[in-house]
Amino acid sequence: MANPGLSRPGFIFRKKEPMEQILANGVYLGSQYAMIALGLTLIFALMNVLNFAHGQMYVIGGFVTYTFYGQWGVPFILALVMSCVTLAILGALIEKLLFAPVIKGSAREESTMLLAAGIAFLLDALILLIFGEKQRGVPKIIDGVFNWDFRLIMPYDRILICVLAILSIVGFIGFMQYSKTGRALRALAQDRTAAQLMGVNVDRYSMIGFALGAMLAGLVGGLLVTITGVNLGMGGPTSIKAFMMVMIGGAGVISGAIAGGIILGFMEAIGLAVLSQYGDITYLLIFVSLMIFLAIRPQGLMGKPWG
Amino acid sequence: MNKTSSKQLLGVAIFLIAIFIGVPLAISLTGRWDFYFTLTSVALLAIASAGVWLTFYIGRINIGQGAFALIGAYVSAILVVKGGISFWISLPAAGIFAAIVAVIIGLPILRLRGVYFAMITLVLTQVVTLTALALPITNGAKGISSIPLPSGVSLFGIPIIPEFAAMENTKLAFYYTACILMVVTYAALYRLVNSRLGHLCRSMQQNEELASSIGVNIAHIRIVIFAISSFFGGIGGAMFGSIAQSVYPSSFQVADSVNFMLNCFLGGLGYVFGPMLGTLVLYFGWDLLFELGKYQLLIYSIILIAVIRFLPNGLLSLRIGKGGQS
Amino acid sequence: MLRRTLIKATLTAAAVSALLTTTALAENPILKIGFVGVTSGPAASWGISNQRSMETRAAWINETGGYKIGDTTYDIEIVSFDDQKDPKRAIAGMEKMAQEGIHYVVGPNVDDGAAAVRPVAEANGIMYFPYAFPKSLYQAPASNAVLGMVANYQSGPAIYQYLKDKEGVKTVAFIAANESDPLSQRDGGVAAAKALGLEVVSDNVTYQVDTTDFTPVLTPVMRARPDLLVLSGVSPANAPQLIRSARELGFQGLISTETAQDAGVLSEGAGDLANGFISVGGASTPELASPMMNEFVKRYTDMFGEYNDESNTKVYALEYILETLKANPSGLTDVSAFQSTMDTFEAPNPYMNGDAKMRYVGMTSFGQRRQVAVPLVVNVYNDGAFETLFIAEVD
Repeated sequence: MANPGLSRPGFIFRKKEPMEQILANGVYLGSQYAMIALGLTLIFALMNVLNFAHGQMYVIGGFVTYTFYGQWGVPFILALVMSCVTLAILGALIEKLLFAPVIKGSAREESTMLLAAGIAFLLDALILLIFGEKQRGVPKIIDGVFNWDFRLIMPYDRILICVLAILSIVGFIGFMQYSKTGRALRALAQDRTAAQLMGVNVDRYSMIGFALGAMLAGLVGGLLVTITGVNLGMGGPTSIKAFMMVMIGGAGVISGAIAGGIILGFMEAIGLAVLSQYGDITYLLIFVSLMIFLAIRPQGLMGKPWG
Repeated sequence: MNKTSSKQLLGVAIFLIAIFIGVPLAISLTGRWDFYFTLTSVALLAIASAGVWLTFYIGRINIGQGAFALIGAYVSAILVVKGGISFWISLPAAGIFAAIVAVIIGLPILRLRGVYFAMITLVLTQVVTLTALALPITNGAKGISSIPLPSGVSLFGIPIIPEFAAMENTKLAFYYTACILMVVTYAALYRLVNSRLGHLCRSMQQNEELASSIGVNIAHIRIVIFAISSFFGGIGGAMFGSIAQSVYPSSFQVADSVNFMLNCFLGGLGYVFGPMLGTLVLYFGWDLLFELGKYQLLIYSIILIAVIRFLPNGLLSLRIGKGGQS
Repeated sequence: MLRRTLIKATLTAAAVSALLTTTALAENPILKIGFVGVTSGPAASWGISNQRSMETRAAWINETGGYKIGDTTYDIEIVSFDDQKDPKRAIAGMEKMAQEGIHYVVGPNVDDGAAAVRPVAEANGIMYFPYAFPKSLYQAPASNAVLGMVANYQSGPAIYQYLKDKEGVKTVAFIAANESDPLSQRDGGVAAAKALGLEVVSDNVTYQVDTTDFTPVLTPVMRARPDLLVLSGVSPANAPQLIRSARELGFQGLISTETAQDAGVLSEGAGDLANGFISVGGASTPELASPMMNEFVKRYTDMFGEYNDESNTKVYALEYILETLKANPSGLTDVSAFQSTMDTFEAPNPYMNGDAKMRYVGMTSFGQRRQVAVPLVVNVYNDGAFETLFIAEVD
C-alpha cells in the first residue's frame, strides 16, 4: 500500500512550543481576523447596522475566487479583483435597495438586525444553490514550507497571504486618511447630522461605505480560500467571530477593529498553546475571559462608550 | 394602568377559544396531526421570546436567551433523570435556576448597552453550550437521553394532571400544557407592562440617566427584568427537553438565540403580543414552505426580507391603535 | 401582505406537487420513503449526499418500471425534510413523515436529532435509519432505529488493529471537534485503542467547528509524536485542512478517520499532502464496485452534476428498506412485521462484487439486530482517488 512508512527522519519536535511559533501564529491569525473585522466595523460605524450577513459575504468572496482561479484558471490576482468587484456591487445594491429604506422607515434602528439576518439566510440559500454543498479549495499559490530549525514553521503561502492582508489593511487606512471619499466616510461615521450639514451627500456615501465594507469581506474571503478553502457553512461562525473582534476593540472604530482582530488572533494562538492540556475547555476559557474583559471594559479598548 | 376595554376582552376570549378549541377541532377535521408539534413548539418558543421582548423593554438587545433555555432544559432533565423528581416540580425549578444564573451574570453585564450587551449575551450562549459539553453532571457530549415523560400529579387523591406516559395522545397533552403556559406567560407580561414597574421600564428605555435622576433604582429594575426574562427562557427550554425526551449541548445554540430575537423584531417591539405573532410566522412559515424542497430557505428568506422592507416596525404595526399595544 | 404571499406560495407548491403526483400516479401506486436530515448550513454535505443518493436510486427504479413488492409494483417517492441540524426541527420532520403516512425514514444525520425523534418514531410506527452512533438508540428498549452505517466503535478497532499489525503503530493521538458527535466518537476511539494495547499519547485536544487555521490546534498534538493521528468524527470540510496543517508542520506518521470522505474535496483542499490518508468508504473502489454501483455513480453524476464519495456509504439504507419489504410485504403497513423479518432477512448485496450479503447485524454491539450489514471498506487516498486498504465485516 502507498502509505508513507513510519520512518520519521525529520520528525524532531521540541517538547515545548517555542515562543516564535506562537507569535507567528498570532500575527497570521490576527492579520486575517483584523481584515474580517474591518469591513464589519466600517458598516457599523457608518449606519449603526450590525451586519449579520458579513460572514456570508466573506464566503461569496471565497467562492468567486475559487470559480475564477480554481475552476477557470484565471490568474489569482485577477480572481481576487473579481471577488472585490462582485461584493462591492452586491453591497451597494443591498444598501440601496434594502438597508436605506428600512432605516428610514423604522422606529428603532435595531430593526435592521432582522433585515441583516434575513439577508444572511438569503445569501446562504443562494450560495447552496449556486456553489453547492461541498468544501472547495484551490491549488496552492506557492509550494514549500519555511522551517527555521523547527522553532518556526510557516508555509510560504501563509506568509504571502499574511503580507497581503497587512498590505491591504495599510492600504485601507491610507485610503480612509487621505482620499476625499475616505475623509467623507470618516466625517459620516463621526456625526451623521454634522456631515450632512457640511455638505456630505449622506445617502451616496452610506452606499459607498457599505460597498467598501462588503468588498473587504470579499477580499479576505478570496485571500483565505487559498489556505483554508471555503464552504457554505463558514458564513455564520465568521460573522460571530467578527462581532467579537469588533467588541474587543470597540464598536465602530477602525483602529479598534484592527486591535480586536490581532488580540483575538493572539488569544487563540497563545490560548491553544498554553491551555492545550485542559483539552475540551480551552475555548470555554477563551470565551469566559472575553466576557470578563467586556464586563470590565464595556466600550472595548478604544470604543466610544455605549456604542 | 390601561383600562381593559370590552373590545380587548372580546379579543382575548376569541384568542383563547381559537387555541384551546378551534385548533384541536381544525386539526381533527383536516387530519393534520403533525401541526400539533409545530404549534406546541411555537407556544414554547413564544414563551422564551417573551423574555427577550422584556429585555428589549428596558432597552437591551438580548441574544442570550438560548443559553437560558439550555440551562432550563438541563436543570429539568437532571432533576427528573438523576434526582427522580416529578417533572412538574422540575419545571418551575428550571425557571428559577435560570433566573438565579441571570442575576449572577446580569450584575456585571447589565451595565452594558447597545451592541455591547447584544454581543456579550451572544458569547454567553456559546459559553453555556461549551459548559454543557465539559461538565460531568450534564453528561458532556453524550447528552441526556431517554428522559421519562411527565408523571401524573394528584392532590388529596384527586388527579390534577394525568400521567403522560399512559395517555393515548401525548401530542394533545403537550399542546394544551404549552398553550396554558404561553397564556399565563403573556398574561403576566401584559400585567407587568401595564404596572408601575412597566412604567419605570419605559422611562428607562427612553433615557436611563433621566430615570435614574428622578430616583428610579435602575440597577435593581434591570436585574429583576433580566431574571424574569431568563425565567421564561428556562421554562420554555425545560418543556422542550421533556417533549424531545432528550437534551444535548446543541439543543439550544446561537442560532436559537438569534431566532428568539428575530421573533420579537418581526412581531414588533412595541407590542406585547408581537413576539407571539413573530414566533408563529417565523417557525410555522418554515414548516409551511416544506413542499418547496431545496428552494425552501430561498423563498423563506425572500419573504422575510420583503416583510421587514415594507413593515420595518413589525407585523403588528399594521394595526396600530388596537388592543395589545403597550 | 405576508399572509397573502405565504398562502400564494403554499398554493403554488401544493399545485405543483399535486401535478407531479398525478403524473406519477398514472402508472404505478406510490410508495413514499422519508428523509429527515440536514441539507442546509455547515453540515449540509452530510444530508445532501444522503438525500441525493436516495433520489438517484428512486428515479432509477421509477424509470425502469417501478419496484415490485408482493403483487404490486410501486413507484418510489422520496419525501425530504431539512432539519437544519436542529433537534427541534428534526422532531417536526418526523411528525411530518407520520402525517404523510410514511413508515420508513432515513436519517437524521447527528446524535441529538436521532435521540430527539425517537419518541415520535416509536409512537407513530416509523422505522428510521440514523447516521448516528449512540448505542442507546439501538439497544432495547429502543426498537425502531436501525444504524445505517458502520459505527466508529466498530470500524476504529479494525483500523487500529490493521495498522498495529501491518505498520507497527504503537502510539496514537486523537483530535476532535468540540461538538457532541465527534467528542463521543473520540471517546469510543480512545477506549478501542487502549483495549488493543496501543499507547494514547494525546486525547484532549479539540477544535471549534468554525476553526479556519489548524496550525495552533495541531502543534501540541504533534509534540506528542504519535505514530497515528486519528481525526475523530471529522467533517469532510475540515479533513483536508487538518491533513494539510499536520503535514506542513512536518508530521510524517499516519492519519486516519472513521467517517466517510470525498476524494475530490481532499484533492482540492490538501493535494498530494493527503496521500496515505485512511478513511472509511463504501464499495466504490474499482475492484469492489459492481456494475450496479458504477451505474449508480453515473446516474447520480448525470442528475446532480457531480458525484460525492460520501454517498458510497449512504446508498444502502434505501436498498435495505425496499429489499426487506419485498421479503415481507406486510411490512408496508405493519412495522412489527418488518422488525421480525429483520432477524432472518438475507439478500445479495447488489453494489459489491463477489458474494457479499445484505442482512441485519448488531448482536454484539446492541444485543438485537438493529444495524445494516454494509461492508467495512477501509480506503486509502492516493493521487486523487481512493484505493481499498482492507475489507472487514461487522457482526
